[in-house]
Amino acid sequence: MNYALKASALALTLSLATTASPAWADFWSDAGAKFKGVTLHGVTESTPPSNYIRNVLAPEFEKKTGIKVDIETTSWDQMYDKAIKDMEAKTGIYDMVYIEQDIIYSYLARNFLVDITKTLKDQPDLKAPTYDDANFTSFADYFKDASGDLFGVPMEAFLKAYLYRKDLFEDPKIKEAFKKETGKDLKPATTHAEYTEIAEFFTKYGKDNGMELWGTTAQAHTGHPASWYEFFESIAPTFGVYNWGIDAKNNYAATVEHGGAMNGDKAKAALKYWLHLRDIAPPESTQSTWTETATTFAAGRVAQGLIYGENAAWIASDPAQSKVVGQVGFALPPLEPGVLDDAKAGKGYIGYYDGGAFGVPVTSKNKEASLLFLEFIGQNEVQPDWAIAAPRITNKATFDDPKVKEMDVKLGGFYTMLKDDGKLFAGAPPYPFHAQVREATAPIFYDILTGKIGPDEGLDQMAAKAEEELTSLGYRK
Amino acid sequence: MHSQKLGWLLLSPTIVILGLFGIFPFIYVLWVSFHSWNPFAANPGMIFNWAENYRRLVFDPQFLASLGITLTFVFFAVVSELVLGYILAQALLKDFPGKAVFRTIHTLPLIMAPIIVGSVWKLMTTPSIGIIPYLLRSWFGYDLNIGQSAVAAFTVTVIMDIWHWTPLVTLSLIAALVSLPSDPFEQAQIDGAGKSQIFWHITLPLIRPAMLATVFIRLMDALRTVDEVLMLTGGGPGSSTRYIGVHIFKEVFPKTNYGYGSAISVIVLYLTIVVCWLLYVGLIAPRVKRG
Repeated sequence: MNYALKASALALTLSLATTASPAWADFWSDAGAKFKGVTLHGVTESTPPSNYIRNVLAPEFEKKTGIKVDIETTSWDQMYDKAIKDMEAKTGIYDMVYIEQDIIYSYLARNFLVDITKTLKDQPDLKAPTYDDANFTSFADYFKDASGDLFGVPMEAFLKAYLYRKDLFEDPKIKEAFKKETGKDLKPATTHAEYTEIAEFFTKYGKDNGMELWGTTAQAHTGHPASWYEFFESIAPTFGVYNWGIDAKNNYAATVEHGGAMNGDKAKAALKYWLHLRDIAPPESTQSTWTETATTFAAGRVAQGLIYGENAAWIASDPAQSKVVGQVGFALPPLEPGVLDDAKAGKGYIGYYDGGAFGVPVTSKNKEASLLFLEFIGQNEVQPDWAIAAPRITNKATFDDPKVKEMDVKLGGFYTMLKDDGKLFAGAPPYPFHAQVREATAPIFYDILTGKIGPDEGLDQMAAKAEEELTSLGYRK
Repeated sequence: MHSQKLGWLLLSPTIVILGLFGIFPFIYVLWVSFHSWNPFAANPGMIFNWAENYRRLVFDPQFLASLGITLTFVFFAVVSELVLGYILAQALLKDFPGKAVFRTIHTLPLIMAPIIVGSVWKLMTTPSIGIIPYLLRSWFGYDLNIGQSAVAAFTVTVIMDIWHWTPLVTLSLIAALVSLPSDPFEQAQIDGAGKSQIFWHITLPLIRPAMLATVFIRLMDALRTVDEVLMLTGGGPGSSTRYIGVHIFKEVFPKTNYGYGSAISVIVLYLTIVVCWLLYVGLIAPRVKRG
């Protein structure tokens, strides 16, 4: 009898312990039960972080919740095309869309996206205990509206960094040759003059020694917006030209005549600097977009270059794709005097802080289930492995994970740079007319690249065209 | 009466599909073309602006340049495909070793999606890794770089189009050639006509309708080429391969200038009809009249 009583008491205790165990232990299956049979459709750009979502996180989420997730990974322009058409036509095909931080302002202006903060506040049963907006790095600020509400869960964030070949920069023979030619020690450049000198040296060195080696990359495609972006987001800021040279506070002035800086002296100097680099870069540079510069670097064809960080991991650590594994060094981009001080004071920035988030279109037919998935990919728990697979960090806790720290060593300190210097970089300016101004001015920019028009005259035309387009769109009065 | 009703009933699914996917979108595009509409403008609504978009077209140097290079592209591509397609059709009517394999390989490009064709040609023409620049450098010392040279980019887009679509012309012309009656040819041979005379006076007139139908198809396709070229050159270098389809794509999608883009689309459709009509009137109508 005594034994039976004890056994009953134990059973009762166990049963109570199970019922009283924290709700989060079973949150995902409980929350997912309501959406049985639902399949979520998402569209994103085919990048390493997105592929990780499709291949790893989506199946994990399905396992925990029973909600199927179909992630379509496609090219950058197709991704925009599909997402915008779907939201514009209100067809509701997609439940989740990739939001690059340069398009979010256009989406917010059109009320395309679900307010994540507000929805989770209004529907507390949807809020996962392991999800918290406060866990994100400051990069999440790019996905908030004026009132601080979040409209996208950050899923990739990286810097466009200065990569250099440590094996070449540390080669005694090369160091000696550089010293002999320039009188200086070979080390990563901090100024544009130094960068140019190093680039010229390596291009000549490659030619003289019959090597397939050039001094720098150049993302200089003559018909693709990648070249436009390289100039306005990566090169011009290092000369002190911010936000594409358009002054939003001054009636969106772009020309110097009206108070803008798109065709100012700094912009013109920046363009000439970059065009010279393009001319001493590998021949494929005129067909290179953001992907091809990384491929060029990984193929060991250049000594240094500005490379989008999303490619850093595979370039630095994947021998199946890269010939320069373990030989990659990271540094801040070369700058004109005063630019670093501007950035530290919050008056400017030194390069591009790229990335994106996943948002839910208001046209989605499965908003609640989609929000669950967004919370799932936004938890601290899933971040370290994701950061190993793709060099992106969006949650603060990720930096301290031992696996990530180990990877940071392999990556030559890329994550440390992201943590310590990320604040010096910036995303795209908060313009709702992003693609419109780019496309209006791009044909003139391509004509500059082909030499059909000079850089000074070309920038004058581009600034005037930008103002014309902004007037036509109704932003400039 | 009964059979007439049945006829309409049987036709109705086709009419509904045509209406939904052909007529309605066309009317919608026509309607949009009379509006100023950019969803990312300060005023994102549609504003009726009469024929302003069409007036703008006449003075838009970028549109006119696009139109000019498109017509040049279409001329070189379609003429080359016709000549090459005819030669290959004649060759494939004869027996030779490996004919079946050749015929299959020759037809393969036809089943490839244009976007894949563009990607493959991009790989083949990239200076660092492409087989074409490599061979041209090894054999002729010529450095091909379609990112730098407008002429090279234009030429490669034409060759890519020829590679992709000549099989269609070949197949159409084979069908036309095998269906020709043998009497006129035998008669001509008895009369002592030479190969060239037979070609100009018998073969060509007899296959002219099939040839023209193929030209119409290719003409319409070539005038709206987008994916292949966008993938290969992006419309560059500069605007040298910004064909009208690419121009419309860039105007409508990244720039979201729906009104103006629709007006360009309508004009291109009109031009296509005019060109096809001129060809029909010039080459087929007189024969029909005489016949």
